[in-house]
Amino acid sequence: MTDVTLTINGEERSASVPPETSLLRLLRDEFYLTGSKLGCDVGDCGACTVIVDGMPVNACLMLAGQVDGRDVVTIEGLATLEDLHPIQKAFEEFASLQCGFCGPGVIISAKGLLDRNPDPTKEEIKDALSGNLCRCTGYTKMIEAVQDAARILRGEKEAA
Amino acid sequence: MTDDVKVADKTDSLTDLKETDEDLRLPSVVEPAHFPVETIDTEARHQTPAVGQRATRPDGRLHGLGQTKYIDDITFPNMLFAKMKRAGISSALIKSIDTSEAEAMPGVAAVLTGKEIPVNSYGPSYQDQPVLADERVFHAGDPVAAVAAVTEQIAEEACERIKVEYEPLEPVYDPVEAMKDEIKVHPPHSNIYATKRIKKGDLEKGFAEADHIFEGVYSTQMIEHVPLEPHASIAQWDPNGRVTLWSSLGRITLGRADIARTLDMPINKIRIVGTIVGGNFGGKNEITTEPALALLSRKTGRPVKMVYTREEEFIASTTRHPFIMEYKTGVTDDGMITARKVRLVLDGGAYCSWSETTLGKACILSAGPYNIENLLAEAYCMYTNKTMTGAMRGFGAPQVCFAYESQMDEIAHKLGIDPLELRMKNAFHEGSASPTGQVLQSVVVKDSLEKAAERFGWKEDGQ
Repeated sequence: MTDVTLTINGEERSASVPPETSLLRLLRDEFYLTGSKLGCDVGDCGACTVIVDGMPVNACLMLAGQVDGRDVVTIEGLATLEDLHPIQKAFEEFASLQCGFCGPGVIISAKGLLDRNPDPTKEEIKDALSGNLCRCTGYTKMIEAVQDAARILRGEKEAA
Repeated sequence: MTDDVKVADKTDSLTDLKETDEDLRLPSVVEPAHFPVETIDTEARHQTPAVGQRATRPDGRLHGLGQTKYIDDITFPNMLFAKMKRAGISSALIKSIDTSEAEAMPGVAAVLTGKEIPVNSYGPSYQDQPVLADERVFHAGDPVAAVAAVTEQIAEEACERIKVEYEPLEPVYDPVEAMKDEIKVHPPHSNIYATKRIKKGDLEKGFAEADHIFEGVYSTQMIEHVPLEPHASIAQWDPNGRVTLWSSLGRITLGRADIARTLDMPINKIRIVGTIVGGNFGGKNEITTEPALALLSRKTGRPVKMVYTREEEFIASTTRHPFIMEYKTGVTDDGMITARKVRLVLDGGAYCSWSETTLGKACILSAGPYNIENLLAEAYCMYTNKTMTGAMRGFGAPQVCFAYESQMDEIAHKLGIDPLELRMKNAFHEGSASPTGQVLQSVVVKDSLEKAAERFGWKEDGQ
């Protein structure tokens, strides 16, 4: 068994898991953080995207043992009981998600982008979301939502 | 009925109706955020307060929060995980299945084979698909046994330890070859399991009137739906003899009847909870693993979950039919279609699934949205030893569209007519009759074409 201690959404968590356990399985099966989805389990679809030390990664391709001592942010770490994260709010307003299965991964990728680059171009947004597949093909409204959230985060637009 | 029931006033706006909702929602955001309400002032559309208003999706917030519970997000205490052993051979007789080594593995709770299934066949129109293949394998993705274990890994390893002895049979993969019936997929039945024929006018007369005859063969490939959420189900057989199934199945009522049939039990003993589906596109329209999971739950007394791997999505779920489409069209010098003969061969794969529906719709739409007085359309659906095909967005309509529009372009090119003009000349108009005689109303195909051409600058491109 592999012992891991990591910070998830600002909270220190520990678990003992078989060495082949992926970060995604650790989050979903050990900590019941089921917001990160298992879509392909081979790093193609991006439904499992989480932020590790500031970088969006495919949680299905990272071993639990590799995140020992590191900082992980999942979709569950974005909203508070009082308010949604501006990206989540924009995704709701723009009806950016249809079946929703890709949504948490897309939002996390967008957060990874806006944390590094608060004023991205449309091309940069597309590039940041290129690892996230949406089979309902609603990319246009996702990009619009990310642009809107970026404006709010930059303080150019009041949060509705 | 009591008097205090509040009936929505037609003058209420969506925002009014949603106010109560907003107060109860978490996270309790300050104000409901909507687009500015733009009311489209069209008098004919004032039936409900929803028409003409912008609305947000009621499920959008949960999706974005990651709080929507798809099947794989649901866990029950003491739950087992199932895996299926896939045949890996496309046509064979099953001589024996030895599950003893798998059953002896620590962590394995139960192994199930096809012989234990009360009625081992299902399907929405023909019941030609086994839940678990027991006597014969019809395509390589067929499951031959199912295992329930305490972890997915153990279930997978147990599948590898199941020994199946096959007597290989000669397979048939090409649908046109399959039409000869020399190799039968489901003997003694013919490989041609569904046909449709539409006849209108006098084909010979129509071709005689034509100045040019165009012939072409068009084909499309097999396509998988690839929903982001793989097929998933959980079964729980309770001590009162009732089974509850949480399933990503889209048609739960139909599925319930199919499950009752396979389990040979009254339908009222079966409860299906249709959870939020992470993409369907037609691929989750029939039962898959549910009866096997129900029986594994019965054998173990524990809830059993199974989620398809991405690979299983491709090899064991339905796909879009590959079509082979032969088109012969007679056209006059000025581009009027006088006759069209169509032959469609649908590669149905190993099982019927929704092929009948696909065949029917494809055949009806095969002439395209054009006024063709003399028409013969024939369609055949074939069994082959491949992954089965079924419902997928459009039920065969996109395939035939590819063929007839490709041929329209060829005709336009050869006759030197603008492709748009050729379509405008032949397209349906108000009151046109479809190949099956349906008189069409609200026909806007020409308007749509004109508007589209204007929007994307068809003329300016000098096409």
